[in-house]
Amino acid sequence: MRNSSYRSQPRRCAPARCGRAARRMRSAVAAAVMAGSVWAVARRFLSEYGGGTAGRLKALDAFLLYVLLTGALQFGYCLGVGTFPFNSFLSGFISAVGSFILGVCLRIQINPQNKGEFQGISPERAFADFLFANTILHLVVINFVG
Amino acid sequence: MAAPGSRLRLEAALGFLLLLACAQALVPSHRLDARDLARLRAVLERPFTDVRAAFYSIVGLSSLGVRVADEKAACKFIKSHVDSSSVESLFYAAQAMQVLSGCEVTISNETRELLLAAVSEDSSVTQIFHAVGALSGFGLPLASQEALSALSARLSKEESVLATIQALETASHLSQQADLSSIVEEIEDLVARLDDLGGVYLQFEEGIETTALFVAAAYKLSDHVGTEPAIKEDQVIQLMNAIFSKKNFETLSEAFSIARAAGALSQNRFHLPIIIVPDGPAAVSHHQPLLRLQVTNVMSQLLTQVSVKLDQARSVSSKATVLQQLPFTLSGDFFELNFMNVKPASGYYDFSISVDGDKRFIANKVELKVKVSTEVGITNVDLSIVDKDQSIAPKTTRVAYPAKAKGSFTADSHQNFALSFQLIDVNSGAELIPHQTFVRLHNQKTGQEVVFVAEPDSKNVYKFELDTSERKTEFDSASGTYTLYLIIGDATLENPILWNVADVVITFPEEDAPSTVQSKNLFVPKPEIQHLFREPEKRPPTVVSNTFTALVLSPLLLLLILWIKIGANISNFSFAPSTIVFHLGHAAMLGLMYVYWTQLNMFQTLKYLAILGGITFLAGNRMLAQKAVKRTQ
Repeated sequence: MRNSSYRSQPRRCAPARCGRAARRMRSAVAAAVMAGSVWAVARRFLSEYGGGTAGRLKALDAFLLYVLLTGALQFGYCLGVGTFPFNSFLSGFISAVGSFILGVCLRIQINPQNKGEFQGISPERAFADFLFANTILHLVVINFVG
Repeated sequence: MAAPGSRLRLEAALGFLLLLACAQALVPSHRLDARDLARLRAVLERPFTDVRAAFYSIVGLSSLGVRVADEKAACKFIKSHVDSSSVESLFYAAQAMQVLSGCEVTISNETRELLLAAVSEDSSVTQIFHAVGALSGFGLPLASQEALSALSARLSKEESVLATIQALETASHLSQQADLSSIVEEIEDLVARLDDLGGVYLQFEEGIETTALFVAAAYKLSDHVGTEPAIKEDQVIQLMNAIFSKKNFETLSEAFSIARAAGALSQNRFHLPIIIVPDGPAAVSHHQPLLRLQVTNVMSQLLTQVSVKLDQARSVSSKATVLQQLPFTLSGDFFELNFMNVKPASGYYDFSISVDGDKRFIANKVELKVKVSTEVGITNVDLSIVDKDQSIAPKTTRVAYPAKAKGSFTADSHQNFALSFQLIDVNSGAELIPHQTFVRLHNQKTGQEVVFVAEPDSKNVYKFELDTSERKTEFDSASGTYTLYLIIGDATLENPILWNVADVVITFPEEDAPSTVQSKNLFVPKPEIQHLFREPEKRPPTVVSNTFTALVLSPLLLLLILWIKIGANISNFSFAPSTIVFHLGHAAMLGLMYVYWTQLNMFQTLKYLAILGGITFLAGNRMLAQKAVKRTQ
């Protein structure tokens, strides 16, 4: 019987994995690892990142870093000082986590290297979805913050 | 599906029969006894103030069967106070004069015309009633058929209870040749409008006066027409209960209505409620073996031309029938039955009594609870000190009631104190089990008393055993001389007993004795309970929280620095209207979030969010579309 998953052509590898930038990054990392230093890896990564990423994505990455730090600091306060008032902590933390997730989704969707995956969704549409989802998230967050 | 249906019908039938059985057990709970009658007469015998008062007094008293004290003076009063131009005043005068003997008056033609003119469809039911009553009272001719048609026409327009009652009274003045059946049917309609209160009372919501007037009118009309009124037996009893429950008669009209109802219920052709009244409490004993009853009507008038019969006498405790089908004998005003002839055991008995003699009697079957009392005697009273180890033989002393045992008895922790006795009915010799058989031990010095219950064994011998060491907590371990009393009591005993049997010296081991016996004072204030308010949660010092607030806001600074470093700018900002609207709308939404946090609730916020969101969406859609176009160009 013919296998239903049989394809006439081999499956296409996503650019995030098999694209030129990714291949270059992997070879650089492999070289650095072979050079035997974590710092070398980090420096190489940063330079590849700085050169290979679009400005828009870098702005978005900065935003994600901000959100991450905010969430981490809130969590650290809660661990150190105490959970009172718990609802406020939850509200703030969920706002951070939710915004981070939505930001990551937006970044994936507007990355030009992923265009093949998101045929029907233009960057503008992704941004509109991001705004809508954020509105709903923060409605709930404000409801809960007390 | 036939079986469940038929079963349901059977259950319904059983339920209906049960209801009927309960309904038949309805007995009159109120009547006019001698004192009520005296009060009623006192109100009705007040001096007259006007013709209306004269009417109420004279006709009310005649319903009770009492004549006015001075009939001539009453007649003169009415003649001088009647107002010939008012139909109402003429009605009162006419009806009162009809009751008084030898009171006549001549009616002028004008008055007659006035009265006849009032009997028409244009007058109210009350006016027709007064006019017909006046014409009938003066003995003037009246066209009954016309009056009837005017009344029927008017009645269909006026629906009130009082109007219908007045129509019933009016019809009783009309000739029997006329077809009064439509008015007679109103009785049934009125009965349907009565309110049932707890299954015991039946009255109109307008009050007892209206109910009493209805009863009087209904029976007057029924007697006049000769048909039985459409009032069931139970309803008559319920009406009776309601009307005669009123014992205070403030106004003359109230007294009048109740007097007329009493008169109607004691003398009509169809329904005569009777009441069976026992003489004093319904109790018999050897000293008083006769059960005496009186049979009266609602006005407490004795009925002696009747036969009273005991259908069945059943013991309440054993449910056995003791007596059946025995007639009572009439002696003077009372019906008597010697119940002690059958030598009943003491206790309560349910008597089913029925009264016959007239087909009109209602509530002539009653259930009466009769108590049979007796005297108790105590025999075979033995006091003994029993050694716990059974090593020494018990010392038993016999005591005879009502003497006291000579010498005192000693009981300490090695001995038990025992008492046994028997209770018998002095008259029949049967053994008795009264409700209260107590043994009371009273400490002479400290005033403490402890009460125990003596219980009968299988042979109906009462035994009481006191183990002093076991019961020391109840005595508070106070040693000393205790007086022993025996208390026998019951509702059916004529001679309850409190008998000082003996003195008992009880000694408790010394180590248990309390220093002094404190009487427990239960009624001192208890210690006050302080309310503990909910403690607020522990909060960190303000410095710490302020520091962390600043710390949490610091990544924002980092973000701005990074953005500047990356080179993000707003140089591409186009001042198109949709862009401006979008940004304003978005800023408004963020502002709404802040206002939501401080002031609004979810519903209001959703409302505003819907509006702002709609605007922002449309503008944003436009803006992003333009951006997309610009991008692809």
